[in-house]
Formats: sequence, structure tokens, C-alpha cells
Amino acid sequence: MNKLAVIITSPPSSNLSVTAIEYIEAALALQIEIVGIFFYQDGVLHANTYVELPSDEYQAQAKWLALKKEYNLPLHLCVTAASKRGLQVDETISTEPQSSNVANAFEISGLGELVELTNYADRVVQF
Amino acid sequence: MTKKTLAIINSKAPYSFNHGKDSLDIALIFGSYEQGVSLFFQGDGVFQLTPNQDGEQLSLKDYLKTFSAFEFYDIEDIYVCLESLQERSLASSFHIENVNILPAVDFAHKLKQHENILRF
Repeated sequence: MNKLAVIITSPPSSNLSVTAIEYIEAALALQIEIVGIFFYQDGVLHANTYVELPSDEYQAQAKWLALKKEYNLPLHLCVTAASKRGLQVDETISTEPQSSNVANAFEISGLGELVELTNYADRVVQF
Repeated sequence: MTKKTLAIINSKAPYSFNHGKDSLDIALIFGSYEQGVSLFFQGDGVFQLTPNQDGEQLSLKDYLKTFSAFEFYDIEDIYVCLESLQERSLASSFHIENVNILPAVDFAHKLKQHENILRF
């Protein structure tokens, strides 16, 4: 009874990214299972490899990649929201790695996945 | 009670932001998957229910028209905050039917009956 789903609707430029990531890290430290992270609205910009922040600022994307690597967290990108914001979602299924501006750790999903996640999770939190 | 219910709070005016449309897409998806979903309108979000608006005049897609499809998606629980209407001097007439007007306390109580809440 400890399953969490997180919906990210804030862009990387928002300080809510920090809150979200620290919240997720705290949950993982408490052995709470994260069933998935769903990126919607401006939240999809987290996947954009072209986003560059000054090196002394919080690097949200690097954090997402690290979370994916360490805990294999599913990072779902809403395809409609992503293509609206210039993410090359069609290219991600190509065999050439890094031919698109979508970071590899993210997977292309639709809103149906959001239904699945909310169904499966005991709690859903939006940032 | 095996089915979970989702409450979606709409808090932004219809044509300044895309939040209303993004929220509508989620409501319709949940509806088509036969998941319980209720819609809450609060703050400037109440303007999404104001009748006789035409987004086309602003060169914007008139997504509010799609609200009339709610009954086909079995979206029947629609609530609007009374105080939010009053603060904006809005009449209790809406472009869709079956909208329940609730005072803030009841509005909050109704929200609390839902498992999950998303806000747009």
C-alpha cells in the first residue's frame, strides 16, 4: 500500500522541479515504490536535451537521468504535449541513438498511461 | 469502492492559458477509460463555464464547445465554487447543464471525497 505516482506539469525553469525531485528522493529513501513519473504540459521540457542551464544552477535533467539509472523509474512523456513544445518525439523510435532532442531515459507515452498510473498508485502528487 | 475517482480542479480563465484544454483532454481520457472523474471550477476557472464565449474571435480553438460532450463520457459530477462566482459578479448560468454550485466549504468537502486531485 505504498505506491506513488508523480505528475510533473512545471517546466525545468520552475523551482518546483527541485521540490519534486527532492520529494521523489525522500520517498525512495522511505522504500516507497514509485510506479512512474508522468510529464505533462510544460513538464515535458524536462526531457529536452537542448535545455542548458548555467552550471551553477540546479540541473534537473541530470537528476532525472540519475534517478532513472539508479532506480529504473519509468519517465513517461506525454506525446501531444511534447510535440507541441518542439520535442522530436518521432525520432526517438529510430535506431540511431541521440538523433532527437529527447533524452534517452524518457519514454513516449500518451494520456492512457496517466490513467494506468493513477489507477495503480495509492497516491498521486502533482508538481 | 474499487474504482478510484479523480477530481480535476480548473483554476484558470479559458483563453489566457492552455490549461483548460490540457485539463479537458485528461477528463475525456479518464471518461473514455470509464474511470470516475469529477470536474471542479474555482477562481478564474469559473470563466470556463460562462455562456456565449467564442474563442474563434480570439483566433483560438473553441475547446469549451467540447464540454457539451461530457455526458457521452459519463462525466456528470461538475462543481463550481459559489464564492468564486460571486467575487466575479457572475450569474449562475452556464453553457453546460447539470453544474452544481457549492459554497466553498461544501466544495472542499466534495473534493475530499476523491482519491486523486489534479490542478490546472
